[in-house]
Amino acid sequence: MPDTLQTPAGHVRLGSNSGQPMTRRDGIAKVTGTATYAADNRPDRLAHAVFASAGIARGRVVSLNVEAAKSHPEVIEVITPDNRPALHLDPDGKSHPFSWRIEALQDNTVRYAGQPIALVVAETLEAATEGARLLAPEYDTDPARIGFENGEAYDPPAVGIGGNPSFSKGDFDTGFSNSEHRIGASVDTPAQYHNAMEPHAIVAEWSGDHLTIDTPNQAIHLARGAFAGYFGIPPENVTLRSPFIGGGFGSKAILVGPQILAIMAARMVDRPVKLVLRRDQMFGPVQHRGATRQKLRIGTDGNGLIKALEHEATASTSSFDDFIEGAGNASLNMYASPAIVARHSAVRVDTGTPGPMRAPGEASGSAALEIAIDKAAEAVGMDPLEFRLRNYAETDPASGKPFSAKSLRECYELAAQKFGWSDRPLAPGQMRDENGMLVGWGMGSALFPAPMFAAQARATLRRDGTALVETSGADMGQGAWTALAQIAADGVGLPVDRIEFMSGTTDQPDAGVAGGSGHTASAGGALFEAGSNAVQKLADLATADPESPLFGAGNTGVEAREGRLFRADDESRSESYADILERAGLERIDAMGSGGRDPANTEARAMFSHGAVFAEVKIDPDLFQIRVSRLIGAFAAGRIINPHLAKSQLTGGMIWGIGFALHEEGIHDLRSGRPLNADLAGYHVPVNADAPHVEALLVDEDDPYVNALGIKGVGEIGITGSVGAIANAVWHATGKRISSYPIHIDALLS
Amino acid sequence: MNITFLLNGETVELADADATTTLLDWLREERGLKGTKEGCNEGDCGACTVMVSDENGSRALNACILFLPQLNGKSLRTVEGIAAPDGRLHPVQQAMIDDHGSQCGFCTPGFIVSMATAHRNGARDFDDQLAGNLCRCTGYAPIIRATRSAADQPVPDWITDAPVTATANRFMPDSSDALAKLYEANPDATLVAGATDVGLWVTKGLRDIDPVIFLAGCSDLKQVSIDDETLRFGAMADMNTVRAAIADLHPSYAEMIRRYGSVQVRNAATIGGNIANGSPIGDNPPALIALGATLHLRKGDQRRDLPLEAFFLDYGKQDRRPGEFVEAVSFSRQTDRLKCYKISKRFDQDISAVCGCFNITVADGVVSEARIAFGGMAGIPKRATSVENALIGKPWSDDTVDTARAGFDEDFAPLSDMRASATYRLETARALLSRYFAEDRGVAGSVLEVQP
Ligand SMILES: Cc1cc2nc3c(=O)[nH]c(=O)nc-3n(C[C@H](O)[C@H](O)[C@H](O)COP(=O)(O)OP(=O)(O)OC[C@H]3O[C@@H](n4cnc5c(N)ncnc54)[C@H](O)[C@@H]3O)c2cc1C
Ligand code: FES
Ligand code: FES
Repeated sequence: MPDTLQTPAGHVRLGSNSGQPMTRRDGIAKVTGTATYAADNRPDRLAHAVFASAGIARGRVVSLNVEAAKSHPEVIEVITPDNRPALHLDPDGKSHPFSWRIEALQDNTVRYAGQPIALVVAETLEAATEGARLLAPEYDTDPARIGFENGEAYDPPAVGIGGNPSFSKGDFDTGFSNSEHRIGASVDTPAQYHNAMEPHAIVAEWSGDHLTIDTPNQAIHLARGAFAGYFGIPPENVTLRSPFIGGGFGSKAILVGPQILAIMAARMVDRPVKLVLRRDQMFGPVQHRGATRQKLRIGTDGNGLIKALEHEATASTSSFDDFIEGAGNASLNMYASPAIVARHSAVRVDTGTPGPMRAPGEASGSAALEIAIDKAAEAVGMDPLEFRLRNYAETDPASGKPFSAKSLRECYELAAQKFGWSDRPLAPGQMRDENGMLVGWGMGSALFPAPMFAAQARATLRRDGTALVETSGADMGQGAWTALAQIAADGVGLPVDRIEFMSGTTDQPDAGVAGGSGHTASAGGALFEAGSNAVQKLADLATADPESPLFGAGNTGVEAREGRLFRADDESRSESYADILERAGLERIDAMGSGGRDPANTEARAMFSHGAVFAEVKIDPDLFQIRVSRLIGAFAAGRIINPHLAKSQLTGGMIWGIGFALHEEGIHDLRSGRPLNADLAGYHVPVNADAPHVEALLVDEDDPYVNALGIKGVGEIGITGSVGAIANAVWHATGKRISSYPIHIDALLS
Repeated sequence: MNITFLLNGETVELADADATTTLLDWLREERGLKGTKEGCNEGDCGACTVMVSDENGSRALNACILFLPQLNGKSLRTVEGIAAPDGRLHPVQQAMIDDHGSQCGFCTPGFIVSMATAHRNGARDFDDQLAGNLCRCTGYAPIIRATRSAADQPVPDWITDAPVTATANRFMPDSSDALAKLYEANPDATLVAGATDVGLWVTKGLRDIDPVIFLAGCSDLKQVSIDDETLRFGAMADMNTVRAAIADLHPSYAEMIRRYGSVQVRNAATIGGNIANGSPIGDNPPALIALGATLHLRKGDQRRDLPLEAFFLDYGKQDRRPGEFVEAVSFSRQTDRLKCYKISKRFDQDISAVCGCFNITVADGVVSEARIAFGGMAGIPKRATSVENALIGKPWSDDTVDTARAGFDEDFAPLSDMRASATYRLETARALLSRYFAEDRGVAGSVLEVQP
């Protein structure tokens, strides 16, 4: 694979910047420690806030020793439901699909362990921490409802954000009962916590009716409006800065209670206030991936063709809000079947409300679906790859629409070849390595939708031959500072080092949401269009100016490159941007652009990124310790703007697959409802030793329909496919099918 | 306490420094050096890694569980002090940019300091050197690549600091004699060795531990002596020092320590602290008990010795009197028959679910001596006496081992917890005995080594 990809034809032509494996433009800031994250801000007169966390999961706070906290030296203010100022919006209301019900000290109810129940503001972090401890809350405790058995079941009106809770096509019952081979699979997935390395943090400062906040945020303008709403000020009065996000993975897209509390406190004490969550506080009010309990049934004919596929998922949510993992919907778009059913139910438990976490719905659903598919292949006696190819969906199984582009076959081929899949024995328990370890090989298919969000950008061509491009992009590690600048540079027809790229605050036009793997496509599209529009304005000037060598070329007859406009039919006639502006007596020329997708294409096509992941595990035959010794994936995700960044995202996602399969699990005490492993010692994220060899390969894909740039996302797909591949490899090593994640060493004991 | 240290080349003198302010809080909140990040505040993530140097060399340490007085007489470099004052990048910084080792970048400062410290020490075991730094974005491979690609470049001169003299303090004794006197007079004081436990009492448990006696200045307690008869470790020997000292004599023990915490934790954690804390899951006690170690305790001028296993009375209760401290631990030179198995859920940076240590001597085909000790199987580190008895005097054979395996059920009634179930723990203990036997017999060679 060359490091530089060829630009596919079929949609807009990008210039020489996109497609380059550029290193990160923010690299120096990051390696020298000068990149500023929210908690690094220390405005003058800063006060520190710490919230007290509920020690029970359900009930009421009946007393708080506010006196003790207040009389602690350096404590400035203690905020409880008794003295909390009113908010303009009800924290228990839902103003739009991206707003969650939050805890803003509205009353003394406790809905989950770790919920904020009071806020202490002090001169120092230590004093605030001690003040919070001195509150010594007493509770009226109701029994906690933890786990699927103990929660309250209900039928959710929607899954994910506005997703369909049920789907049916064809006649499942008949298809299944007429099938030659019938399998069932039950798979549980636990609550998982995002645990970005950067804990949530906010620094809030009021100046009259104007609010300035530094807080990591994946959807800057959306958040601006929401913050403004709670405090009853116009959105323009909120300045939100989020230049660097220390990992988000979904948890920093939606406002959370502690942010509101900090802003409230800043207003009350009339000083800037900083609030940084401790790691243990990351296991309550800032969302998580909800647990699921999934059941699948698959029927096939004698040749291994799927006749019926059913995926039922129960997901847990909080007692007071709804976010349901749409796990069952992972079965709608992957494998061809004449009959498909997906159904969801939900259970309310006493935890914080779940939210989107890297590949919401898809990750959990794929983790179960791929096990079921493997079982179906086993029932037929077929190689798992051959089985998947046999059931390859040429059109979207759910809608019947053609795919905008689908290169899954190429992904299977490339990854299988790199992995050496063809040497795999069919039966489990056949392979040992030179150290006597059990070896198993498994695979999974990866899929993720390609959504887009409304996004805007501005491009300004300046007389000094540079350009300013602006959009409120969010860089949480995916490399927006770099990839977006590359696209923007091509939009304005300049080398990327002549671009000034402004991003990450509300001062720029709305870049939409950095989520759903749609940010590069959405914000990138806007930037490109803004640049093209600015260049167009410049071309209008030049071609209408008799003194320009481009005079009379007509609008469509010029090309922009390296800061010059060229006549399309005569390369020798050209003029620099600077000269055109100079003659026109203009300092600059600017234009807006917006990203989006042709609605006709949305209507007509199904749009997904695809991939295939192959896993090798090695398992100690006596101790059952599991190691993923190799994980190789190939992915097709439209046009790749920067192969380095794309591979980083994909391998990052695959490592999350390892975490999902083997480690990550939030455990709550059944009785008290308190999290038992609310730290990084107990909640295991993968370490280096867990990931000896993880490799992501890119498959060129030309998608002429997905958007003008042909870009799909790479941020989330890596986790899908990987989880199931590992579980299937464990089966292949041991003959034991997995029924719950993470795969415990205990589970392999006979 | 009054302390003196170098911070990125500049002398810092603090008068009346609070004994339990962590370096991380001081750096970020008081000093305004915000490059060093807080990811967990309990030693698990390495985002706060700093480089601390003295006459013994440079070490990476976690600033979040390092109290200011522990810096007395040291030179400290934070991420702000890794590039040259004129802005030239350190080779590891350039390599991290070139190899895309940074995504969201939040873990990056910690990695940079770990990498620069490893680079300065000429360390080549890159995976181990970075095992204490968590990254949620990259998947580590690019970071390891960057570390490797910078390894051959010279250590930049600006990284080296001049030595500093520590400021004298009453509660920072400079010898074990001074400590003995002080502690006897202040038996209620909390001793702080490496602070990898005590640090958490403060940052997580919010405990008030005043008054505090810091042991860091007692250089005689750091001594390791090995002669023909005995190996003796001063209580303040840190885990990396212990690891190096036993690498040739008891390689399996050394390998277990490789997986103990992380570089940062091992650089701080002391063998004395790991024993004195009485933890049922400490990794040293089972190994030391299996080796037949003796614990040396001291109170004032009185010293007493006891077999290490006798020190652990019950969960949370040790045979240590007010004002008495651990001075050293020792064991006899012996032919290496020791195998240590640290079984944990995650391969690196994980507390053991079970830590089993076997030291079985065979003479003329018959088991002459057996010392088997486990962590994680009871409320204290504990010997498997029934198993030992079932082995001693018997032929070293499959049959004997099969029979002896049942002894674990008599020796231990482990609990189920997050790390493992009781069944798994017992099953593992039995499997480990069989594995020890198989390895000893050379069945499948050394093949069935516990990975990695
Ligand atoms: C991230 C992390 C990972 C860890 N991983 C492991 C692991 O894998 N295996 C493992 O076994 N442990 C592990 N630990 C636990 C810890 O490192 C050990 O228990 C450590 O050895 C304690 O030593 P210390 O010098 O840091 O002790 P300190 O924290 O300074 O002290 C511990 C206790 O011992 C007392 N004490 C210290 N020295 C003496 C003395 N000379 N005489 C009497 N009392 C004394 C102190 O007063 C205190 O009560 C880990 C800890 C952390 C934070
Ligand atoms: S902040 Fe995580 S180790 Fe210090
Ligand atoms: S780059 Fe984000 S945590 Fe490492």
